[in-house]
Amino acid sequence: MGMSKDRIKFNVGGRIFETTATTLANAGRDSFFGALFDDEWNLSPQDSIHFVDRNSDCFAVLLDLLRTGDLNVPANIPERLLHREASFYGLLDHVRTAKWGPFDGNRLRLSDSVKGIAPGDGTAIRAGPDGGCCVAHGSVVHVFDWMLEEHSPINLDYQRVNDVGWIDSDNIVLSACERLGRGEGGMGLFSSSSGDLRYKFQVCHENQVKSYTAGALSFSPDYEIFASCKGRSNEYGIGVWDQITGKQTDFFYESPGWSLGDADKLQWLNGKNCLLVATLFPRKDNCYISLLDFRDKNMVWSWSDIGSPMAIDEKRVRDAIAMEDSNSICVVNEFEDLGFIDLRMYGGSVRWSSRSKLMKSKMPDEPCYPKLALHEGQLFSSMNDSISVFCGPDWVLTSRLRRSYGGSICDFSIGGDRLFALHSEENVFDVWETPPCPII
Amino acid sequence: MSNQKKRNFQIEAFKHRVVVDPKYADKTWQILERAIHQIYNQDASGLSFEELYRNAYNMVLHKFGEKLYTGFIATMTSHLKEKSKLIEAAQGGSFLEEINKKWNEHNKALEMIRDILMYMDRTYIESTKKTHVHPMGLNLWRDNVVHFTKIHTRLLNTLLDLVQKERTGEVIDRGLMRNVIKMFMDLGESVYQEDFEKPFLDASSEFYKVESQEFIESCDCGDYLKKAEKRLTEEIERVAHYLDAKSEEKITSVVEKEMIANHMQRLVHMENSGLVNMLLNDKYDDLGRMYNLFRRVTNGLVTVRDVMTSHLREMGKQLVTDPEKSKDPVEFVQRLLDERDKYDKIISTAFGNDKTFQNALNSSFEYFINLNARSPEFISLFVDDKLRKGLKGIADVDVEVILDKVMMLFRYLQEKDVFEKYYKQHLAKRLLSGKTVSDEAERSLIVKLKTECGYQFTSKLEGMFTDMKTSEDTMRGFYGSHPELSEGPTLIVQVLTTGSWPTQPAVPCNLPAEVSVLCEKFRSNYLGTHTGRRLSWQTNMGTADIKAIFGKGQKHELNVSTFQMCVLMLFNNSDRLSYKEIEQATEIPAADLKRCLQSLACVKGKNVIKKEPMSKDIGEEDSFVVNDKFTSKFYKVKIGTVVAQKETEPEKQETRQRVEEDRKPQIEAAIVRIMKSRKILDHNNIIAEVTKQLQPRFLANPTEIKKRIESLIERDFLERDSADRRLYRYLA
Repeated sequence: MGMSKDRIKFNVGGRIFETTATTLANAGRDSFFGALFDDEWNLSPQDSIHFVDRNSDCFAVLLDLLRTGDLNVPANIPERLLHREASFYGLLDHVRTAKWGPFDGNRLRLSDSVKGIAPGDGTAIRAGPDGGCCVAHGSVVHVFDWMLEEHSPINLDYQRVNDVGWIDSDNIVLSACERLGRGEGGMGLFSSSSGDLRYKFQVCHENQVKSYTAGALSFSPDYEIFASCKGRSNEYGIGVWDQITGKQTDFFYESPGWSLGDADKLQWLNGKNCLLVATLFPRKDNCYISLLDFRDKNMVWSWSDIGSPMAIDEKRVRDAIAMEDSNSICVVNEFEDLGFIDLRMYGGSVRWSSRSKLMKSKMPDEPCYPKLALHEGQLFSSMNDSISVFCGPDWVLTSRLRRSYGGSICDFSIGGDRLFALHSEENVFDVWETPPCPII
Repeated sequence: MSNQKKRNFQIEAFKHRVVVDPKYADKTWQILERAIHQIYNQDASGLSFEELYRNAYNMVLHKFGEKLYTGFIATMTSHLKEKSKLIEAAQGGSFLEEINKKWNEHNKALEMIRDILMYMDRTYIESTKKTHVHPMGLNLWRDNVVHFTKIHTRLLNTLLDLVQKERTGEVIDRGLMRNVIKMFMDLGESVYQEDFEKPFLDASSEFYKVESQEFIESCDCGDYLKKAEKRLTEEIERVAHYLDAKSEEKITSVVEKEMIANHMQRLVHMENSGLVNMLLNDKYDDLGRMYNLFRRVTNGLVTVRDVMTSHLREMGKQLVTDPEKSKDPVEFVQRLLDERDKYDKIISTAFGNDKTFQNALNSSFEYFINLNARSPEFISLFVDDKLRKGLKGIADVDVEVILDKVMMLFRYLQEKDVFEKYYKQHLAKRLLSGKTVSDEAERSLIVKLKTECGYQFTSKLEGMFTDMKTSEDTMRGFYGSHPELSEGPTLIVQVLTTGSWPTQPAVPCNLPAEVSVLCEKFRSNYLGTHTGRRLSWQTNMGTADIKAIFGKGQKHELNVSTFQMCVLMLFNNSDRLSYKEIEQATEIPAADLKRCLQSLACVKGKNVIKKEPMSKDIGEEDSFVVNDKFTSKFYKVKIGTVVAQKETEPEKQETRQRVEEDRKPQIEAAIVRIMKSRKILDHNNIIAEVTKQLQPRFLANPTEIKKRIESLIERDFLERDSADRRLYRYLA
């Protein structure tokens, strides 16, 4: 009857849908539809109706997703149900890609807010590579996938967690304090989906395994893990492990008068093949920032505020981040003044850009120290209850993310095209996303 | 907002009712198991994909993933065991076909089973890190079929037998072969390598070991190489037809090792057909084949190159040291050039212009050319010959080619300064006798020498050209200012700068009055314009054209040397002259006079004077008369001088001595230059450095260097270190 051979009819949970094979081909071979229309499954003639025993409302949403690439979920369909159905058809990845767009710090919108149940202040929040995140509270880390479904929480002998990081979407590394005399704590590799401990990293000093406290973490694209370590006696410094074998491959011992083992922040610099190590006030009385080259065990650059005259407004560095593109290190003080140190010069000083005077007036009851993050040429800095976005060569303030709920932001993280901000009150964390591309 | 949340909550409580049935898992699994059976029995048309997918999904959802996974493995295993029995039962040729058929069936079934179990594959297997359905299906096939004891070796032997058959010329089903071997590749690289590739390589190695032994006993080198090449191409084709591309390198290296590397020495040295024979007979194809095959194995080319080098050296040594062959310098050099052309062609056509072979060729030539101390002289003579007459009627481009080739030989010379000496002499003769064919060719060669050896080497040669040019102008000026001289004999003078030209002892000789008057005029004219210069006549190098009328009125124009002119002019005044009289009148040195008289009296057809008594050699008692009966069919008669083309032994000694003499200041200069910059140096190093510095001109003799050092010490340029006698110290 002139009907295109392309056309296909479905009866899903009692509702009739009509679509085309072309639309369904968008699902890919590794999906329910891909298999259904494979030649091996001698499908009955064209005009018959294929019955699928599933929810028809979700099917409509997913069919539209295949047709347009856009995800539009009516208010009456819970996300969980939709995800469940998408999982049945093998379309979860389609849903995820359609849900939010490529990250842009100036186009973020608040997409969700997840309340925590953990007591006390959060330590850290880390974005995973595919849109999930994990939140460290005390001695436990809560893991969320991109659907913000919580998986089994992880812990390392219930020791206090210092830092956590994602190796890939299924592997999380956790660093924790040691427990004296028990050999507990240190560093462990966990499955993000099941929460199982897969591997425990060890520190060897003079061929003897030592218990240690692991601090800040960083990862290199060459499958290395870096962690600041404090042992009982000499084992102060930066340890290096291989992500694949799990074996310790190197250890950079700290030299007298300089701090590495207590570092607050590690950052691997791929272009320079160096590791940035920053130990900051108030963990130590002074700030120490250095770049380590592990190939020849050399500290190639360093900066410290020892002996520098204290200004009246007492500008102390609270966080630091290296920006390889502009060959500088950006630092921030407790008033959210940004400062820059030139990486090309040894012993340079901080060039402060003071913009804090304007807003110094209102400090919240429970202040949180500023934190910095860098993402594709955009610089982010958190202060109290808001996150500022800076762009351009002169780092102009272009956006501010703020919500009047949850109190100060104690940590934030960008990854998987999402920004996660952890608030100090109620353990709530916000998820910020860039909306999908406009229709036109 | 809160309303909605409530509703959401209700829907989230969504539960499958089937879970209450305790037999649910078993029932569902039975449905799936039956389906798997049906799929394997190729009876799947009645199956509903949607139903099976949903059932598998439900099992995983209700935490029966484990049951589903182990069930699928068990069912598939039992099917594969059955299949392997069927394969085992297949007889003879149908064995491979049966395997291939069953493998295809299994693949198809595996695909469908994976479709049904897709949800398990994506969720349960992913989170438990178990092996995915597809690779698991391949593993099961490997363990239950390929590694099944009754199939494993039989399959391998069948495949190897087929390869063997194909090698011996039979036609086999390559398509089937490709499919079965593709199965090994699909099962993973390690399966392909362990279960097929390694045994295949071992069998091939054995096969070629036997075959190459057979060939080498029965074939000559050329044929053997052809066969090896053919085998190599066959194996490469085999890989393209039905093996993994990665095997190519491995199988070719087996063939290379067995057929070439193991027989390399024997092949190269094969009597009457080995490398030397190929080189002698210009067998470009065989040589090319040998190059291409030997290139593939370690030390292959080194072997070829070494044999070629030693052959070249041996051949060259014979060539340059054979006294018979060095009789004619032109032929001698031509032979060298021919040899070089021959090997150039071999290297460019058969050896792919391999740089290392070119180097070997060059070093061989360098080695043997210098074995003959007269090589520099001969090369210069060759050039002389070419520039005198050899280049007539040859296009400019070809002239360049010949000159370039000569330069190539020149480059091999260690004693370049000796060449320069001879070249200067020969060039002087050419210029003065006006015998040079092409000015352009002369200059082109000078430019080449200049680029090769630098300005210093050719400055004097260039000075010679300048002298020729100025002389022309001077003569024009002379006759311009003396118009009265247009009558009578014409004198053409070439003024040569002392130093630029090879020094010849100026021989005093009495010129005939007519000429000496003219000479005197020129002298006063020249010195009038160029004050402070000294002119001395080199009568030994001039020529003259004289008109003669013989007894019966025969008129001829005689082209003679200046000496000959002096002798002939004497006969204007007397009919008979004795040797003594001539010698007295002309004062030509005895040796030259004898040579000159010989050419006037003893050369048949050119004997313008007669000697009495008639004999070949000139004696002091001989006397001479004009040969009135002299006839010649030409009006112009050229009386050649009996010139030694090659140098005579004493001349050679003399040239040699002069060369040695000239080297002394050069060696000294080099020593001083080096010591000036180094201040202190020990003996061995100084010798090494001096030798290196002088290399482009000649090979300095260490004893001579030592003598020069001693001479410099005597003259207070250097001193020996007081502590270490081996050290020399530069004195500023």
